[in-house]
Amino acid sequence: MPEKPTKQDDSFIVPIGPQHPALKEFEYFELRVDGEQVLDVSVRLGYNHRGIEKALESRTYSQNLYLVERICGICSHAHTTCYCQAIEQLLNVEIPDRARYIRTLVAELERIHSHLLWLGIAAHEIGFDTLFMYVWADREIVMDLLELISGNRVNYAMNTIGGVTRDVRPAMSDKIMTGIHQLEARARYYKGMCLEEGSVMQRVAGVGILQRQDALDLCAVGPTLRACGVASDLRKDDPYAAYDALSFDVITYDGGDVGSRMLVRIDEVAQSVHIIEQCLQQMPPGSLQVKVPGKVPSGEAVSRVEAPRGELIHYARSNGSDQPERYKVRAPTFANMPALSKMLIGGYIADVPIVIAGIDPCFGCLDRMSFVDVRTGRNWVWSSEQLRRRAQA
Amino acid sequence: MTTAGLILRLVIFPGLLLLFVLAFVWEWLDRKFVARLQKRHGPLYSGPAGILQPLADFIKLLAKEDIEPAVADKAFFRVTPALLLALPLAGLFFVPIASETALAHFPGDLIVVLFLFTLLVITIFYAGWGSADRFSIIGVMRSTIQMLAYEVPLNLALVGPALAAGSLSISRIVGWQSTAGRWLIVGQPLGFAVALISLMAELELTPFDIPEAETEIVAGWQTEFSGRKLALIRLGEDMNLVLASSLLVALYLGGPAGPVPGLGLLWFLIKAVAVVYVFSNLRAVFARFRIDQMVNWCWKYLVPAAVAQIIITELILA
Repeated sequence: MPEKPTKQDDSFIVPIGPQHPALKEFEYFELRVDGEQVLDVSVRLGYNHRGIEKALESRTYSQNLYLVERICGICSHAHTTCYCQAIEQLLNVEIPDRARYIRTLVAELERIHSHLLWLGIAAHEIGFDTLFMYVWADREIVMDLLELISGNRVNYAMNTIGGVTRDVRPAMSDKIMTGIHQLEARARYYKGMCLEEGSVMQRVAGVGILQRQDALDLCAVGPTLRACGVASDLRKDDPYAAYDALSFDVITYDGGDVGSRMLVRIDEVAQSVHIIEQCLQQMPPGSLQVKVPGKVPSGEAVSRVEAPRGELIHYARSNGSDQPERYKVRAPTFANMPALSKMLIGGYIADVPIVIAGIDPCFGCLDRMSFVDVRTGRNWVWSSEQLRRRAQA
Repeated sequence: MTTAGLILRLVIFPGLLLLFVLAFVWEWLDRKFVARLQKRHGPLYSGPAGILQPLADFIKLLAKEDIEPAVADKAFFRVTPALLLALPLAGLFFVPIASETALAHFPGDLIVVLFLFTLLVITIFYAGWGSADRFSIIGVMRSTIQMLAYEVPLNLALVGPALAAGSLSISRIVGWQSTAGRWLIVGQPLGFAVALISLMAELELTPFDIPEAETEIVAGWQTEFSGRKLALIRLGEDMNLVLASSLLVALYLGGPAGPVPGLGLLWFLIKAVAVVYVFSNLRAVFARFRIDQMVNWCWKYLVPAAVAQIIITELILA
């Protein structure tokens, strides 16, 4: 029998996590529910902490490339791009133009792969496994393209400090073109299907609403923010790689619900296809990388990249040696966490999985900063103020 | 009929053995159909085209550790899995499969089958409640709310065939169809659709798999069951699928009657496979309802449709 209610209310705690079928990684959401209604939610992070920042500080800059690549299994290219940009800034080197375009091209293929993966997961969360299977079958097209370019499906190892490691040969262009056009057609098909299939729309429209002002106040990023009608995209606002030379639209929707987040992502697939086309057409000839020294002059640098999930920030401080003195990663999922708590309260238990999935959480990216005192068992997280003080110390 | 003959009929054909074989084959068919709709292959390795996979799963589960939560209500927790298998099996004795008369029949056995459907939900309630798990409790709450939504349209829909045939016995309804020379689906397509959808809710198939929604509440009321108990529950679900498809075949599709007499079982199987195919199709093309949406939808569309079918049937009869 269930626990005896201590108070008059009928609410009880439903744990989502640390292990739960809705979560692909470990995180803990404690829901206080009354029947099917969620009254309150408390989020506890840190289950996936791997000590990557500390590890980064005890390895050389070139070794760190491999570690940074493995912060996330999906947006691995975004992390290395961000890392390389920060270190290149410290070294004060300009990478060749061709390398810029190749970085952009792989980044957009990665965005397509990430958004399709998300759409599949979202379909699974609302119990629509057929869509999940279809989307993931189509995702193989982009996985094959990434393998064609880099030799790998997940960790592409394309970036290096000072440029990229592999070229996109002209022979690949045709295959990439065919592939992305197939993907564009599929994205259009899925958009039509999501809009027309009533059982999908009734599970995502009006669910997990985040008001525009809340999104801004709580510093939401990426598709979560753009689904609230805020046209914020680093590729436009603070162009890096080759984005300043390419034309594309920033997709926004006004709903602020999971449905809008879904449509933002599907439309972004089409925009990515558009960007890749331009990359292939405009890519200048030239070398792929410049040679850089192993030791980095002292200084600090902040680098920002629009990862598939939103704004990714890397901070590096060097002391003139071949290892960073301090390295900090702010993943987009971390920025979206406060907004997520807002979305969950007042909803139904049935909507919790799709709302959590709605921000496209990546806990592997997120969890690097949590402190546990092993003697007392106390667990706490540092505020940004404390982090800043620590970084300056 | 001699006692030996009766026992033979009960245990082997068309009794228990046939029903168990059907349960496993139906699960395999359903998995295959859905897999093909989802661009997958489904079971492949156990037996030809994976036909033995459900049996292999069953045996594997039997051998697995059987864990009972310390706080579970042991009596409920142990009895309910067996009941969940026994109830649909009992119902199947009233449904004609190989011949026009069922193994057991009496005027009013249709009511008994409907009663068994309700009893199944109550058993599910005790199974989930007895496991004393948060996810199970939410699951059984959803299960009972769901019953409030589909039970009325299901019962209303099944009144249709009884009205037309003038009997509350499933065997009589089958007999009426073969003497009248037409299947009841011809006059009652709406009733058939309502019964089909309500039975999907009864079977907890997508989009009505709300009580065991994996991504929301783990496995709902089944969460705490493992090993032998889970094996029985899963076999019970398969048996329930056999019962639902057989009932639809008997009431609307003429049961074992077919163009060539004497091949009752064959005609029955063909029709039942078609019904399973429809179930699989429907469960592949929708996203899961939320419980409030499901209740709303059932009362808004299914109940009026079922009532309309009864009125039409009455008008035709009059």
